[in-house]
Amino acid sequence: MVGLADSQRTRRADAFVNRLTALSLDHPWWTIGLTIVATLAFAAQFRKITIDTDPKHMLPVTSPVRQHNDQVERDFALHADTIVLGIVNERGVVNHQTLTRIERLTREIQKIPGVIVRDVVSLSTIDNVAVRGGQLLVGPMFDAVPGSDADVARARTSVLENPLFVNRIISRDATTTAVYVPIEPTANGKAIADEIRALLPSEPGHDRFYLAGDPVARDTFGTEMFRQMAVFSPMAGAVLCAVLWLIFRSTLLVVANMAVAMTSIIWSMGLLMGLGYPVHIMSSMSPVFLMAIATDSVHIFNEFGFRFREVPDKRRALLETMQAVAGPVFYSDATTAAGFAALATATIVPVKIFGLVVAFGTLVILLMSFTLVPAILSLLREDRIAAITRRTAGDGHRPGRWLPRLGWFCSRRARAIAAVGAASLIVAGVGLSRIHVNNNMVHWFKSGSEVRTADRILNANLGGTSTAYLTVQGRAEDVIKAPEMLRGIEGVQRELEKDPRVGKTFSVVDYVRRVSRVLHADDAAFDRIPDSAEEVGQYLFLFGSSAKPSDLDNVVDYPFQNANIFVQLKSWDADVMRDIIQRTATYVGSRPLPGAATIRPAGIAYFNLVWSDEVLWGMLESFSAGIALVLLLLIAQTRSLRWGVLACLPLLFTIALIYGVVGLVGKDFDMPVAVLSTLSLGLAIDFAIHFVARFRERYRQDPRLDDALVWTVARPGRGIFLNAILFASGFAVMALADLTPYVTVGVLMAAIMLLSALMSVVYLPVLIHLFHPVLLKEGA
Amino acid sequence: MNRVRTLAAAPAVVIFTALAVHAQRERPTGTEIVERSQQAFYYAGADMRARVVMELVSESNKRRTRDLTMLRRNDPKSKNQKYFIYFHEPGDVRRTTLLVWKYYERDDDRWIFIPAVNAVRRIAAKDSRSSFVGSDFSYEDVSGRDVSADTHTLLREDRVGDADCFVVQSIPKAAVDYTKKLSWIDKKSFLPRKEEYYDAQNQLARVFTADRIEVFTSGTGDAKKEYPTVVKRTMANVKSGHRTEVTFSSMQHDVGLDDGVFTERSLESPPQKWIQ
Repeated sequence: MVGLADSQRTRRADAFVNRLTALSLDHPWWTIGLTIVATLAFAAQFRKITIDTDPKHMLPVTSPVRQHNDQVERDFALHADTIVLGIVNERGVVNHQTLTRIERLTREIQKIPGVIVRDVVSLSTIDNVAVRGGQLLVGPMFDAVPGSDADVARARTSVLENPLFVNRIISRDATTTAVYVPIEPTANGKAIADEIRALLPSEPGHDRFYLAGDPVARDTFGTEMFRQMAVFSPMAGAVLCAVLWLIFRSTLLVVANMAVAMTSIIWSMGLLMGLGYPVHIMSSMSPVFLMAIATDSVHIFNEFGFRFREVPDKRRALLETMQAVAGPVFYSDATTAAGFAALATATIVPVKIFGLVVAFGTLVILLMSFTLVPAILSLLREDRIAAITRRTAGDGHRPGRWLPRLGWFCSRRARAIAAVGAASLIVAGVGLSRIHVNNNMVHWFKSGSEVRTADRILNANLGGTSTAYLTVQGRAEDVIKAPEMLRGIEGVQRELEKDPRVGKTFSVVDYVRRVSRVLHADDAAFDRIPDSAEEVGQYLFLFGSSAKPSDLDNVVDYPFQNANIFVQLKSWDADVMRDIIQRTATYVGSRPLPGAATIRPAGIAYFNLVWSDEVLWGMLESFSAGIALVLLLLIAQTRSLRWGVLACLPLLFTIALIYGVVGLVGKDFDMPVAVLSTLSLGLAIDFAIHFVARFRERYRQDPRLDDALVWTVARPGRGIFLNAILFASGFAVMALADLTPYVTVGVLMAAIMLLSALMSVVYLPVLIHLFHPVLLKEGA
Repeated sequence: MNRVRTLAAAPAVVIFTALAVHAQRERPTGTEIVERSQQAFYYAGADMRARVVMELVSESNKRRTRDLTMLRRNDPKSKNQKYFIYFHEPGDVRRTTLLVWKYYERDDDRWIFIPAVNAVRRIAAKDSRSSFVGSDFSYEDVSGRDVSADTHTLLREDRVGDADCFVVQSIPKAAVDYTKKLSWIDKKSFLPRKEEYYDAQNQLARVFTADRIEVFTSGTGDAKKEYPTVVKRTMANVKSGHRTEVTFSSMQHDVGLDDGVFTERSLESPPQKWIQ
């Protein structure tokens, strides 16, 4: 089957790797010195570091949804990012002290750089439309903070009587009010939130203050991610060192492993910074991944332990070790690199960069495995090796006996184990069918966190902290003024308000109705849409003539061709937005708007929906691309389609089981979970690569099937388990993080690693045992 | 070459220094300049009539037009004024009229006639900083602001185009939408050539420019008076990208508008003689 050229090339490649290893063995200090020099060169690039914590930058500026959103924002003078400062007072927020505070806070907030001064909305800046002592009032709500009890009572009535304010500016029971703080697209929401926090009164009395809104959540998340990475990267490193030491009791091995990890981290991060890319949230995770990938050298240590006992000559044992593991180490690193490089197919730039950075780092690890690792190992004192060997080979004690037993069990009870596997696949299938795709950025914070508490309280009391826009797009100028169009828009609003997660909607209709009522001496009978477009035009002209121009601009565009419906949502679930779009489409389908006007969604809620969908499906695409790449590599390595597919099975089985459990326990399949599937791909496949390669090598030398299987389970199997344990312990540390995506990544990654190690060591022997007639007739 | 230029420049330096010394001696205060500027800008003549076109231009360059006739009469005994405004465009608001009795030191009285409900409504005018008919100009920008509401300081002198100007800084005494205003006031006509409004973050927020000035006259012979007028002006909101361009045409001063024009009655039945 294998062509002559192929085998020659392989032999040449093998020879090259051997020569590289031999060279490193003979000149360990040169090798170490050169590595340090190169590492210093990469480290020198660190001074070019720039940091970008804004997750919004994940979607390219040219993406259609961003462009459409920008257009909507320009047409209606809207702002993408708004911080909500909620003020809650159980005795009512309309009182002299609280109103004085709101007035002062609003003024001070307007001074914060990055805040859009002209459009800060609070009780002290909003425009009211009302009748006061027979006069028409279109203008600021208060000219001064009410002082006397009677004034306060009047103020309370006048705020609550304007339906435009209720649930937006003030809760129906007047215990909650909000200050809406739009910020520049370039401003950092967390930094501004921190400045607002510093303005809050030190003795709040009965007032309680809450900061919510997308920019706060997003930028707090961005900042927190960096902070947590700074804590958890070293922590994962420390845990890895500790576990490594417990396994091998050799400081030099720990040093060797960490040297590989650090080298790859410094080279890849140095390259990233040197090329001028900012360190984004995604790429800040690379060190943890590279540290975990670097534990691959455990296979070298493990094999070396066994070899040295058989060949008690350090140089020869090392060379033989490298020869034995060269194939699997090369292919497992290559598949890891391929798995991460598959992320380059993603549309999201930082994800692409992250994938390429880790892929590059993995190749560095691969190079180090054949140079730095043997060089450091060659420095081991022979008497110390004996100790490592004892521990490695198990010396006839526990681990040594446990694994061969497992091996025998697998080949004897192959059918039963296969049946259990099939049964669990069916259960996993049920779980997979129940998977619920959703995403909620606020839920990335823990339940008791400040961000989530603020969001919960404001959503309970006001219309909602998340905003969607539905833009009504007419075919001609002035169509929005037509009474039937306004009635259509109002119909959409009432329909959407049937959803309990929609807390408030408002549109140009609400202004028209308000002005109509106020012009008719506050008669409730005139709280309606007038009968002629001319009347509508005059009402809007009156409104637009006195209030802030932006009030009108926000709901209707200049030629009165397009209108904008504000929809306030009480949940950041991407699902809610999906339902809103669906409900609107169904409603408009049965009651079309006049003149074939259409409705398009926009706003931050919609942006988040598109963003999460794009990440999610992008990840699934990358996952498929990754599987294809890995499969190709495996087929290349094993030179057999069957063996290639076989090696993929434990990984697929693992992923099916893990995601089956995710579906069964009802955890949302969100962005972090989706990202995981792709990330785990290149990592979890390693175990099967080692198993298959070493088994086939052994079988070639000694074609007794079950013996070869047991040997593989006991010897490389031990390396596989050690690798998985190291991997899992590095990631498990992240379960202690404050951000739920890290907890998810930590826990699921550890689970995937352990499970896929188990699957490889249990199901590969079972499958090979069951299907050996098909598998072995060609390979051997 | 260099020496020649220096020599040529010498007399100029002497003359400028002399002028500067002269100016120093006669230098008016910031408040005096603003007083005179308001007189020239808002109070020209005993009365005035003009057709005014306001173009509201959005950030995405979409336009809304307000076409109106503006009548103004100064109270001969005080600094109070009365304004009558009749809207020709936009079409659906034609016949809408607005009456403003502007008082120099207290809130204005405002009335509006809305044809659709065929009724006059009095409008509470608590905030004269609010937008005038949705434009970037506030009511005060159209009819003037109480000089004593700001602290005025003459900062320096400067040139705008071909005009020598005083640069006056005005800081509001009570909190309003701007925290500082710089005005370039023409030394000859005392018309503002340029104004800059700064916001709470002390950043430039709005810019007024006098784009074209024409001199109108009234009377003949000894009674002939000249009124330099800013016939084209722009207020640009540099923060929102929105701007308003205003053009005055068929402007007449001292036409003899009587007090009867500025009443609630004429809101409903506008004085056709003056409107056309």
